[in-house]
Amino acid sequence: MTGGAGVGAGGALEGFRVVEVGSGLCAATAAMRLGDAGADVIKVEPLGGDGSRRWASADVLADGADAPAFLAANRNKRALAVDLDRPEGWAVLRRLVAGADVLIEELGPGEAERRELTAGRTDLVHCAITAFGDHGPWAQHPASELVLQAAAEQPLSLGRPGEPPVRIGAEIAAVNTAIFASQAVTAALLHRLRTGEGQRVAVSRLGTLLHLRGILWSAQSDPDEWGGFHLDSYTRPVDDGYRTADGRIYFALRRASSEDYDNLMITLGLVDHLADERFGNFGRDAAPMGRRANDSREVWEEGFARFTTDELVQLLLDAGGDAVPFLDHLELAQHPQIAALGLLVDVARSDGSVQRDVAPAWRLSETPASIRRGAPFVGEHTDAVLTEAGYRPEELAALRAGGVIR
Amino acid sequence: MAGLLDGIRVFDLTLAVVGPWATKLLAQLGADVVKVGAPDGELLNFVPPYVGASQSSVFLDTNLNKRLVALDLHDEADHEAAWRLAERADVFVENMRPGAADRLGFSYEAVSARNPRIIYASACAYGRVGPMATQAGVDPLVQAFSGFASLNGPEGTAGEMNRYLVNIDITTGSMLVEAVLQALIARERTGRGQKIELEMLGASLALQGTRVAESLATGVAARPLGSASAVTAPHEAFRCADGVWLALGVEHEEQWRSLCAVIGPLGAELAGDGRFTTNPMRVANRAELAARLAELFRTEPYAAWEVVLRRAGVPCGRIHRFDELRHHAQAEANGWFCELDTPWGHLCVEGPPWQFSATPTEPIRLGGANGTHNAEVLTELGMGDHPAASFKADGGRPLRWTRRPEA
Repeated sequence: MTGGAGVGAGGALEGFRVVEVGSGLCAATAAMRLGDAGADVIKVEPLGGDGSRRWASADVLADGADAPAFLAANRNKRALAVDLDRPEGWAVLRRLVAGADVLIEELGPGEAERRELTAGRTDLVHCAITAFGDHGPWAQHPASELVLQAAAEQPLSLGRPGEPPVRIGAEIAAVNTAIFASQAVTAALLHRLRTGEGQRVAVSRLGTLLHLRGILWSAQSDPDEWGGFHLDSYTRPVDDGYRTADGRIYFALRRASSEDYDNLMITLGLVDHLADERFGNFGRDAAPMGRRANDSREVWEEGFARFTTDELVQLLLDAGGDAVPFLDHLELAQHPQIAALGLLVDVARSDGSVQRDVAPAWRLSETPASIRRGAPFVGEHTDAVLTEAGYRPEELAALRAGGVIR
Repeated sequence: MAGLLDGIRVFDLTLAVVGPWATKLLAQLGADVVKVGAPDGELLNFVPPYVGASQSSVFLDTNLNKRLVALDLHDEADHEAAWRLAERADVFVENMRPGAADRLGFSYEAVSARNPRIIYASACAYGRVGPMATQAGVDPLVQAFSGFASLNGPEGTAGEMNRYLVNIDITTGSMLVEAVLQALIARERTGRGQKIELEMLGASLALQGTRVAESLATGVAARPLGSASAVTAPHEAFRCADGVWLALGVEHEEQWRSLCAVIGPLGAELAGDGRFTTNPMRVANRAELAARLAELFRTEPYAAWEVVLRRAGVPCGRIHRFDELRHHAQAEANGWFCELDTPWGHLCVEGPPWQFSATPTEPIRLGGANGTHNAEVLTELGMGDHPAASFKADGGRPLRWTRRPEA
């Protein structure tokens, strides 16, 4: 737990300073990922804090408290609050960026350049995050997670035709874009280490979602050819796992041998289906993702009804298949695999409050990721950060008295 | 202008999607990726649909920009050729089941002993320790286990799969690229390589990090809400008079004020309703708010609302399909699709996920069939007379996956 420029982090990006100017979860998550890797991240917010501090239901969020979603996307940062509705605020931001290695912003296409945040900085890595891309007729349209998921046809892979659309519950536009932003920044920093040259890197949330569905584009290149479980995702019915006596499982039979498969079907009481044409290829045609998966579900569920989820997972593993319970977050948090990997960690904020969060997923043997501080409060580090940027105490007092910083 | 990863060599022992997507991105950043596949192919070679008679579109897409070499790692001479690749590589990537690379002789210890600067990146499904360490896993199983699926579906249900079965795969692959780039930075500074481990389970949790935090902080597992956001409101889809679903996305207070200002008398009423004053209150009273908005939006066709809302700066849109996106001006302006002619037929693939001003990414190009580059790569390794150099790619394989189940 040290302050300052990532000192003691030991991560791959130790010593790099990142300034994040965004709103919501995307830029925040991108900057957090760089912070997890050791970078010194400064989050720039309006005087009232970013709106995502209040992204939760009043049923669970106390007045003035920060939302769990905000805390989960903003660890390993210091926070500075500045009013960008005022020219003096932009001057503060320009000075901050002047001392940074990386600027991550989602100010809108071209805005960072118009505000001269990057002027004269040939060594700056400037990451511009947009919703719909830098160019084109939609470039200035406002967006949201749902708007972007819809634009990328994601609801066509969920729910039932003719019924209300369904989104992916996870914030995939925000987080997947953040991963690509973090890649782009890290790649550009590598180039800078070698050549001294910075550059502008750009990612967009819709571009990300379309990239993620690339396998579907390649599969539809020839409209006369239709087949395979990827293209079938447009037409398959809802898939919510396989019911057991006490829950649901998901499974695969990729490696089952003939003998294992016979024994499995005997144990499940499905011996009549050994000769069932739907259950060809040692049952794999009938298993999830198989050619006959859709019309054999009820047979599997008939066999599974006499066993608990735990019993079935073991049976299927013993038969050389793969199987897992279908879990929600609270069930998952109790699963021994999570503890074995240390995937959930308690993160403390400066006031001592603690939230249980997902740990950085990568394990690097020499330059491990680390969690050095919980999410900052609004303006918690304004003075410290601006002092490092060369502001004198009387200048800070004047900015604060003028309502430019908090 | 040189590519970002010019001069970086990647020895690629990946299969399926997680690892290959990672090495594809590295190749598009300029690395020289040599992917080694078994001479009789892998499962992905047999996933339909096909381009022409013999090439899986999924395999071609997943292995763009690489050089593809077919080697039988159980054959001594082929194994030696693979070692030449490992010895000169900067980065090694594999995503076999835990222990499989070790059994093939390419453990971290073995590779780093002969190549100390190697960055050795491994991805698997559930990790290398813990009760599930020996299990293999694929995207849908990880979706079900990790809680990712528990968030999807109509309100009142207990979760369903994203039927596009590679979202977790590609997320894991792209996180692996992040880590490889971090390790290249570290190596640039210290001269040392290192070992990277990542599993799909951890990647899936990180992808849902804000939702997991919500569940754990409240003690109530997050549940499906149809098209609605769990943390912002109004942020869901409404049916318009013409049957088109309007995706409305109010995430910020000023967007709420703008919405109320442009939807007539109902807007004034909602703006003055104490139940909807702040985002947390709108989320808590989402059902009541959505019911009022649903009455309104069903009175006009989608296009009418789109004009009103967009002018006001309120995020909105509708579902677009591939066939309208593929040649859309927005996609063309930003390079989101790439049309490729191949020896087997036409292929449309995704564009790169990033753009760099100083170090442009590699033009997207076909890697090809498994084994396309055997002669080229083996000659480069000084093994031009190796039997594998005459491997014939695309040798008229059968279209069905015929591998026998393992004993």
